Amino acid sequence: MIRLIVAGMLILGVLASPSFAIDGTELLKTIDANLNPESFEMYRKLINVEPNGRKKEFIMYSVKKGRDKIASVFLSPASEKGRSTLRVGENIWLYIPNVGKPIRITSLQSITGGIFNNADIMRLDYNQEYNCEKVESDEGEYLLYLKAKTRAVAYDRIKMWVDDRKLLPSKIECYASSGILLKTLHFKETKAFGGGIVRPSVIQTDSPLHKGYMSIMIFAKVKATKLKDEVFTLTFMPKLESLR
Amino acid sequence: MLIILLFLSVLFPRFILAQEEYSFDMSEIEKEIEKKPYSIGGYLEFRPTLYWLDDDAAFYKLEFYDRSNRSRLEEYNFRLLIDASYEKGIGEFFLRTNIDAVESAIESDVEATIFEGYVSLKPSPSFTADLGKITLNWGKGYANTFVGFAQRPKNPEDPDLPREGFIMALTDYTKSFNGPLQTTTLTPVLVPVYKNINDDFGEVSNLNLAGKLYFLFYDTDIDFMFLTGHSKPSRFGADFSRNITSNLEIHGEFSYINKFKKKFVDDEGNLFGETFDAKSYLVGMRYLTPFDTTFICEYYRNGTGFTSGEMENFYAFVDKGYNMIFTSGDDSLIRKATSLAEGSYGRRNPTRDYFYLRTIQKEPFDILYFTPAITWIYNLNDQSYSLSPEFLYTGITNLELRLKASFIEGDSDTEYGEKRNDYRLEFRMRYYFDAVKVFDKIKR
Repeated sequence: MIRLIVAGMLILGVLASPSFAIDGTELLKTIDANLNPESFEMYRKLINVEPNGRKKEFIMYSVKKGRDKIASVFLSPASEKGRSTLRVGENIWLYIPNVGKPIRITSLQSITGGIFNNADIMRLDYNQEYNCEKVESDEGEYLLYLKAKTRAVAYDRIKMWVDDRKLLPSKIECYASSGILLKTLHFKETKAFGGGIVRPSVIQTDSPLHKGYMSIMIFAKVKATKLKDEVFTLTFMPKLESLR
Repeated sequence: MLIILLFLSVLFPRFILAQEEYSFDMSEIEKEIEKKPYSIGGYLEFRPTLYWLDDDAAFYKLEFYDRSNRSRLEEYNFRLLIDASYEKGIGEFFLRTNIDAVESAIESDVEATIFEGYVSLKPSPSFTADLGKITLNWGKGYANTFVGFAQRPKNPEDPDLPREGFIMALTDYTKSFNGPLQTTTLTPVLVPVYKNINDDFGEVSNLNLAGKLYFLFYDTDIDFMFLTGHSKPSRFGADFSRNITSNLEIHGEFSYINKFKKKFVDDEGNLFGETFDAKSYLVGMRYLTPFDTTFICEYYRNGTGFTSGEMENFYAFVDKGYNMIFTSGDDSLIRKATSLAEGSYGRRNPTRDYFYLRTIQKEPFDILYFTPAITWIYNLNDQSYSLSPEFLYTGITNLELRLKASFIEGDSDTEYGEKRNDYRLEFRMRYYFDAVKVFDKIKR
């Protein structure tokens, strides 16, 4: 009888705390792999919507390779056309056609204005920038508690809600080191892009710091592709559009 | 309540939308991202400017000695900048044309210039070859640069303005590596200087060779560059840029000009020459605070610049020439001074030591797309300065509005004290366009 009670308590204990069974780091790597192939290209439309309904739209073409290389170029509007950004690890450069040379910028700086910052647009894999400290499981969802690996990362802490079958995020809350909620990202409309890539095609962002404002990022033509390392260099920044 | 919502949705149809869901048409987005082999775009600019003139200043006297005196000057500037490109296979043709028009009580002029026009071949991301008129932008300095050996100087008051290039041939060869050395790029450049080809670059009938070697080494951008030939004295230089933390970047430049020839005048207008090895350098930083304030700060020493004494002699010579017109009617001295001012004495930041500080506040009080900034250029040799606050608004797609004032302060015989203006107020309205998209919309 005593054995039965102890066994029952153990089973209940394991069920009550599934985080013991889940390796958060591996789970995060799987989520990253599901969001992005190893080397790929994509188009994104960014829409900033203001409380009065006025909107500002941007279209970007991006390429990413490996864990730490991503480059993007704005295709529209005309005022931003040709403006490109390159990230290699913690190094971020901005190229403005009129200025004519890449300048180093910080990950927190905003390229477009609005509630997106560089870190949102030039994001590397989550497992590159964050450690998973804890995983909770509840009603078809995992909740991952992520902590930035260094102070160079835009958000100190992240809470990530993940669909436990698709292993794709449904919501992310980004916090400052002071504990203030900076923004919430809602992942929507999971779509098959071809080549086995199935991921949310819309990310809607709102921020308690900018009440009534909303940003939407729509993904299109996400495609795995082979890219040379030389694409991710300062010399190639003005020529990024030629990859399209 | 329902009536109010209905009323709001009729008056402001997007209001309701913004508070709830946003819908979009994916097929429209796919049309927008469709690539065309050609592009035509650019901007149209209108820039009315009001100057408060300083009739005691040397540069006022040079410009107004044969005109009636005035205390203010209104100027209307128009600019049309057109970028056009055509891409086929590994080749691309790019053209940047600039048309400037100015209208004021003392000037009425239209000038069209081809800033750039070149053919580019890109057989791979590692190798490109360009031939034509090209604007290079070497150097890490924000306000100024001393290592831009084959390019025109920047305007520290507005360093982001597009500039005219030179006719040249260049290649870029890039190689990436794993390890502390991540990237290296070799850029050799040929600059021909002959009659009607780059004849404002330096002495004509010479083929000059310039080059740059870039490294991304331990997360630091490092460049080495040189220029040799007979159009200008040979020179070499280096620059670097590095992020110390995620919100702090530092950069620097050094250049060495072998046997630089400086020409200067005494207060009688007698011309002298001096040959020496000129060393110039620049150190700077870019710092972003948690409150989204960016500080760009630079100190630069221009080794080819004039000393304060040499500038004072020039100002005294201008005064002498100006006074001679009233005493004898002879304008030969002032005309000689004017021609000197069109050369080295009239260049931007002509003396030696400067401190530059630009402070930019992104979207204060949560006003999106509104960016105030203030720029201070301080001449450390004569303690004169220009202080320019500005307000930039980019909230309307493709429209950029900038209001900028400049306070130009200094005693007599100082750089900013002898400028033509005491104050300047400028409003810049710039509209960017993509002609291909406009044509597409019309066709639809």
